[in-house]
Amino acid sequence: MSASATGLRSWLTTTDHKRIGLLYFWTAFVFFLVGGLEALVIRAQLAGPNGTLVSAEAFNQLFTMHATTMVFLALMPLTAAFFNYIVPLQIGARDVAFPRLNAFSYWVFLLGGLFMNASFLFGAAPDGGWFGYANLTSKQYSPGLNIDFWLLGLQILGIASLAAGFNFIVTILNLRAPGLKMMRLPVFTWMVLVTQFLIITAFPVITVALVLLMFDRFFGTSFYLPAGGGNPVLWQHLFWIFGHPEVYILILPAMGIVSEVLPTFSRKPLFGYTVVVYSGVLIGFMGWGVWSHHMFSVGLGPIADSFFAATTLLIAIPTGVKIFNWIATLWGGQIRFAAAMKFALGFIAMFIIGGLSGVSHAAPPADLQQTDTYYVVAHIHYVLFGGTVFGLFAGMYYWWPKMTGRLLDERLGNWHFWLTFIGMNLAFFPMHFIGLLGMPRRIYTYGPELGVSTMNLVSTIGAFLIGIAALIFVYNMWRTRRHGAVAGDDPWGGATLEWSISSPPPPHNFDVIPTVASRLPRWSATQLKAIPEGAETAAPVHVPAGSWWPLIAASSLPIMATGAIGRMLPVVLAGVAILIVGIYRWAYEPFEA
Amino acid sequence: MNVPLYEKLWMWASGVLIVAFLTTVAIGVASSALQPPSHVETIDPAKVWTDPRFTARGVTVDSAGVTVVAVAIMFAFNPAELRVPAHRPIKFRLTSADVTHGFQIVGTNANTMVVPGYVSEFTTSFDRPGEYLIVCNEYCGLSHHVMSGKLIVEEARP
Repeated sequence: MSASATGLRSWLTTTDHKRIGLLYFWTAFVFFLVGGLEALVIRAQLAGPNGTLVSAEAFNQLFTMHATTMVFLALMPLTAAFFNYIVPLQIGARDVAFPRLNAFSYWVFLLGGLFMNASFLFGAAPDGGWFGYANLTSKQYSPGLNIDFWLLGLQILGIASLAAGFNFIVTILNLRAPGLKMMRLPVFTWMVLVTQFLIITAFPVITVALVLLMFDRFFGTSFYLPAGGGNPVLWQHLFWIFGHPEVYILILPAMGIVSEVLPTFSRKPLFGYTVVVYSGVLIGFMGWGVWSHHMFSVGLGPIADSFFAATTLLIAIPTGVKIFNWIATLWGGQIRFAAAMKFALGFIAMFIIGGLSGVSHAAPPADLQQTDTYYVVAHIHYVLFGGTVFGLFAGMYYWWPKMTGRLLDERLGNWHFWLTFIGMNLAFFPMHFIGLLGMPRRIYTYGPELGVSTMNLVSTIGAFLIGIAALIFVYNMWRTRRHGAVAGDDPWGGATLEWSISSPPPPHNFDVIPTVASRLPRWSATQLKAIPEGAETAAPVHVPAGSWWPLIAASSLPIMATGAIGRMLPVVLAGVAILIVGIYRWAYEPFEA
Repeated sequence: MNVPLYEKLWMWASGVLIVAFLTTVAIGVASSALQPPSHVETIDPAKVWTDPRFTARGVTVDSAGVTVVAVAIMFAFNPAELRVPAHRPIKFRLTSADVTHGFQIVGTNANTMVVPGYVSEFTTSFDRPGEYLIVCNEYCGLSHHVMSGKLIVEEARP
């Protein structure tokens, strides 16, 4: 089967990194809208004191699913969409190292997301918070299926992330075009590499934590149950040892995108490339040593508190270095305010605010007044929305022409940016004060005597502005499909290899694998010359054929999880059988179909 | 099968690392009964109501100072109202009878997690007399939002 075939079958069996990237993008974008809708219901419930729009039970499910969806089903897979589509193009490769494993990652992600959301059909959506603190998640205090859906869904999603993590590390290290040394890699690809190392080291930790929780719930062990000699604080440690690197898993790709967009739209190379790369690597390492700043209020004692306060202050340094480098990149550049650039600049501004409120958590005495209040909600949304989501939108406007061949409309992009920017500041800035005035997180409703009613209303208005902005973006994408300006190979004058091929690229990406002699191959005069016609006849390009086995192997995981939820051992065993057969047939599948 | 030497070395190194990690964990668990760092004072969460440390709940003022003893349960604090003197160090001793709760006195830096199986203790003082709201800020289930209490700080009588 040709890789350029169309039709459902070709998409179900595809191993083309570009198609998988698009599948990731659309799936994750739908989940992004779902998570956004959940947020709007939450904000509508909190618009005034003593709200009764939804029940307390539904509210708890909504805030749990909003966070779980946004982190695991929207933002991570949206970054994965760019890893898939862009990284092989930036390194001059024809695909990722393990194309079928890549397809497997996508299908596992899709099915895991559907499994998690299927809980709504049973009225048993997860309700323990995305952090799922023990021992509220124990069988005794959460007897329903809610937590089972959550812990099994997360385990499935973890497999998708791990498989993709190994795949991209091997791809970036081994499939670089000739001459593309590590210190010539585009910064986006560098940040992807660091992110993947964080994924393959952080996800095993959450997997272990979830397996222990599964044993507690399914087999009556007491890992987290004080009554049986267990320790609920163990969960907090395991969760945050995963959870803090997870923050960097979400932000580093956005930093990478911004490091591509700013130079292109300033017509200047990134200021201090080496330092930006090393700062990213340093953040990757130091991200492991700060987790207990989530736990100051547990009472870990002065030694642990001081240590984690110091490391948390230290990690602000490489982050600050990056910010100064981005600003220095702009300095004296010929700046074009395209939508991608606006979102990149918005990223810097919003991320600085989120970063500063983050530093304020580093001091335990200050943190004690902020922990579990809306102040923290303000902080994470400045980092994850003002940071990651702005970075992702910058990436969407920047690479959309490469992925679809058409440019997104700039005028609609302008509206999209300003409404999002104003909406997010209205929504999240008042939360700093709401929190300091004493409103805890995750509460169903609040009384008027707390004095935060007006600010909550403002916050809700801001959230709905973001919703309108998202609709404008959806319309822009839909409109661009037919009416968008044709992009050509390189609409922005980009410096990296993906702009040297047609938009969208052919299935095999590069007719001739390019040889790279600098960090900015398309901005260096020696690199600009076209490949001389007939001088190097392109060798017959091998494009891997499609395969059903990744999809079949992936389908075994939700089957196993369904069996586990229904306490049906034969179904679990059937899932195991499908997995074994799937992997066996996959391994022995002929190279060409 | 021909495996290049450097791949063999990596495979052996990975194996050695895994064994070393597991050995470290096993020795840590077996020889020194390691637990993750957390509170030092423990309590049986099933016997909170009969434990002598928590039978006299409320505020005690004696020569040793002011002590507040309270228990957090789904979804209330026991006792729900506390009266303490201003300008004096006050020792709070808290525990939970069920799940993990929070104990935050709004407008002050008194905020601690209350973990079942442990006694949370901290000392602070209040300089401004008045009424303070106590909230549970650690999500604890269905009626988490109604879990609150009141702290009344009184000017010491002459």
